[in-house]
Amino acid sequence: MVTSNVKKVKPKPFLFPHLCKACGRCIDACPKHCIVFGTEIDPATGFTPVTVDLEVCNGCGLCITACPEPHGLLATPPELEGTDMVVSDPFTYFGERAQTRPAPAAIPDQLVPLPALQPMVVKGNHAAAIGALLAGCRHFFGYPITPSTEGAELMARLLPKLDGVFVQAVSETATVNMMYGCSGAGLRCMTFTSSPGFSLMLEGISYMVGSHIPGVFVNVMRGGPGLGNIAPEQSDIKLVCRGLGHGNTHAIVLAPSTPQEMLDLSMTAFDLAFRYRNPVIIVGDGYLGQMTGRVTLPDHLVRPGLPDWAVYGDADHRGNVITSIDLNEPDLEERNERLNAKYDRMTQHEQRADPFHCDDAEWIIVACNTPARMAKGAVRALRERGVKAGLFRPVTLWPFPIDALTPIMARAKGTVVVEAGPGQLEDELRLALSHAGLVPRGPLAHVRRLGGILPSLQHIVDTVHALAEAHHE
Amino acid sequence: MSSVFYQKFERHAHGEGLKGLSTHYCPGCGHGLVHKFLAEAIDELGVQDRTVAISPVGCAVFMYYYLDVGNSQAAHGRAPAVALGHKVANPRSIVISYQGDGDLAAIGLAEIIQAAQMGLPMTFVFINNAIYGMTGGQMAPTTLMGQRTTTTPDGRGRLMGQPLRMAETIGQMDGPMYVERVALFDNKQRTRAKKAILKALRLQVENRGLGFVEVLAECPTHLHMTPLETEEWVRDEMVPMFPLGVKKDLDIEPWFDLGTPSFEPDRVSSVIGGGTEAPERFGTRFPTHIHLEDVAIKFAGAGGDGAQTIALLTTRTAINEGYDSTYIPSYGPESRGGTSYADVHIAAGDVLSPACPEPHILVAFNAPSIDKFGPTVQPGGAVLYDSTVISTPPSLDPSIRVYGVPFTQIATDLGKRMVKNVVALGALRAASDLFPRESFLGAMRETLQKDCAMLELNEEAFTWGERSLGEMTSPASG
Ligand code: SF4
Ligand code: SF4
Ligand code: SF4
Repeated sequence: MVTSNVKKVKPKPFLFPHLCKACGRCIDACPKHCIVFGTEIDPATGFTPVTVDLEVCNGCGLCITACPEPHGLLATPPELEGTDMVVSDPFTYFGERAQTRPAPAAIPDQLVPLPALQPMVVKGNHAAAIGALLAGCRHFFGYPITPSTEGAELMARLLPKLDGVFVQAVSETATVNMMYGCSGAGLRCMTFTSSPGFSLMLEGISYMVGSHIPGVFVNVMRGGPGLGNIAPEQSDIKLVCRGLGHGNTHAIVLAPSTPQEMLDLSMTAFDLAFRYRNPVIIVGDGYLGQMTGRVTLPDHLVRPGLPDWAVYGDADHRGNVITSIDLNEPDLEERNERLNAKYDRMTQHEQRADPFHCDDAEWIIVACNTPARMAKGAVRALRERGVKAGLFRPVTLWPFPIDALTPIMARAKGTVVVEAGPGQLEDELRLALSHAGLVPRGPLAHVRRLGGILPSLQHIVDTVHALAEAHHE
Repeated sequence: MSSVFYQKFERHAHGEGLKGLSTHYCPGCGHGLVHKFLAEAIDELGVQDRTVAISPVGCAVFMYYYLDVGNSQAAHGRAPAVALGHKVANPRSIVISYQGDGDLAAIGLAEIIQAAQMGLPMTFVFINNAIYGMTGGQMAPTTLMGQRTTTTPDGRGRLMGQPLRMAETIGQMDGPMYVERVALFDNKQRTRAKKAILKALRLQVENRGLGFVEVLAECPTHLHMTPLETEEWVRDEMVPMFPLGVKKDLDIEPWFDLGTPSFEPDRVSSVIGGGTEAPERFGTRFPTHIHLEDVAIKFAGAGGDGAQTIALLTTRTAINEGYDSTYIPSYGPESRGGTSYADVHIAAGDVLSPACPEPHILVAFNAPSIDKFGPTVQPGGAVLYDSTVISTPPSLDPSIRVYGVPFTQIATDLGKRMVKNVVALGALRAASDLFPRESFLGAMRETLQKDCAMLELNEEAFTWGERSLGEMTSPASG
């Protein structure tokens, strides 16, 4: 047996007085009483650093363990043994090894071809879930709430078969924060929820926006306020367009009106969320979520890469941080300006609309989600009666597709906003018009039902018809 | 100094001046010590690259200034949820959720309890200093009875509730593997705290389980004491309320593994249920004899009558025939026990409005359904109802054809009452000539493909339903 004859040298402590906060914890810790409170104020810090006399120090290290400052009391590195640390400049020791790791390269997404698949017959909520799976989402977090639950249920059934993860959270608050973590790691994740649940997620959405974190939210809207009911009211348009939590927040809001669009837009949503590093909200309504229809599948799926900014938990991404706090006002102003620039880009590039018979329309109906289907029927009925009606269906509610609407409204004799809600879509329209400096030609009327009642086709026809008649008189 | 600390704190006041080398914590604050022990443990286990540290809201909000690991900063109380998101995103990452007492034991109770009970290998560090630090000395859930804070100026009293013992609470749960409460007030305690943190982290690194370490820490600033007095206060006042020691320590073999998510196209298409074979088509024309371009059918009954199933079958049939079709159920509380109805549209072009306020055809399974929806049927339309349960035929517009078919009786005679809906579907086909018989049977086969016995019975029920319209017999007599 060989025993080492080298006596292990226990390093003695050293301290840069500038970095001592004079708490005295080391004094108490030293069994040899090597350390005492100082007497001279350090003008650089305002503290009175302790004084260390290593005459009788045995290198036990207890003082080092007791010092709360990372760069406070430290073991003297062997190579510096004997130097007079105290008079040195700490920056020569700590200043240089800053974050020098190279920024990681982003791993791009891949489009993988799918076999040619037959159309499926699925309900809207399921279509959105299938779209998410095809978009490469393998992580789902959610809390059950009618009428969105089938989406979560399908994910719970399918994700394990793809070695994905389904977590039923303790609340919507926990849900959105799990998403914050998972998206923060750079992965595609989503949730299904409905109005009251979405309210609870707003805190987390504000953090996601502030931290530039993507994430896809499907909010199958229901009747409100309060517990309301589970009928298909378009009750959250204001919330998703103007009220995504505290602070300067916006997100692209997609409003599908068919099960097919639930699938298509759910795929689009992931792309947009990662392109802009921002949450994307899909608003459906209870009716659309439950509606079964034909859904054609795409010819590819997405195998997601990994963005450079991710906090994935590996060597490449170790230098990244996700945060939204800036105590320094100019820093926070800068963060907000960066957000504003992003909102501008979204407004410029992401407006989407689906005009129907708008080319020669004299009467423009503006509607989204399920009411847009009623409105489409109404356009046909009105045209049969000789009224040149058209439907302008915003697919993005934010940014509102004002650029496409402007020339259409310029030709129109009047506009009717059709909503299963209290006028929140009309407010978006009016705001968009006002920001664009436009005044609508002719009347700006509406058909609204509340409480989850959908405006009927007949109600729309009658309203537009009456306006057209009045115009002729 | 552990290399897990940044050498220079670039994020602290942009690394300028002495701030680039020192923490933002008050002199003597326990946070700095715990950061140090964490950094040492990360270093010792060699997991710096894999570590993701979740900074909380509270004085430790800027933990990410100091630890040279992957960092994320969570909303107040939500660190455990954020941590969980990171852990399931990358099961190889070593995730540390770090929280103070307001964060963990007040606003974030639900999150910590769920995360603890899930028991994934993660490390939870809980700083208990009996007060809110960042907001300026208010009562924390762990504030001692009688302790004065800015929100308990006369001392914490009965109305404020009693201090919450988190280590004991978490320790009696099934999820966690290891729970200990430690302190920092003397050399012995600091050595224990270091060990506990190292152990909690090791359990995660070895994929064994969840470790939770509560640290009784000093907040000299808001206790209005010197750091050394605070150490004594923790020892003399806090420890009696919050006893130190191990609360739970299990022996668990490594188990955690989530697999690698699949993006393999064949596997994905099979999982989502995408078929590559085109369904056979049998119809030659749109049922224009009902409506030129958009046929509306309502199915109504009590929950359990099977109205939803045949509505979906009808939609599937129409889609297989190449038309657009939608099916929308009545849903939610409405569908529990009470009426259950379904609206189906079949359109030559696109289905516009998916609701059927005025259907062309109504299929009714009970009297309330006939009463409610019978009068909404369009002139020239048709009504089919279960004459087993509805004794008197409805009196409707004379242009409406009314068929009473004993759905229930026929199904009962076939030996399975529950197929009465398929009897109804057969009757609907015969009465409406919506699509060819083979077309419906094809959709039925698609839906029931795995269940041959059921398929046979259903086909029989469908056939009897079709026949019942012409010859009012029943399988028992036939
Ligand atoms: S190493 Fe030990 S003996 Fe030396 S100063 Fe520190 S505590 Fe005292
Ligand atoms: S423990 Fe550290 S910060 Fe406190 S007095 Fe000693 S050296 Fe200074
Ligand atoms: S307020 Fe208290 S907990 Fe916060 S940094 Fe100061 S001493 Fe530490």
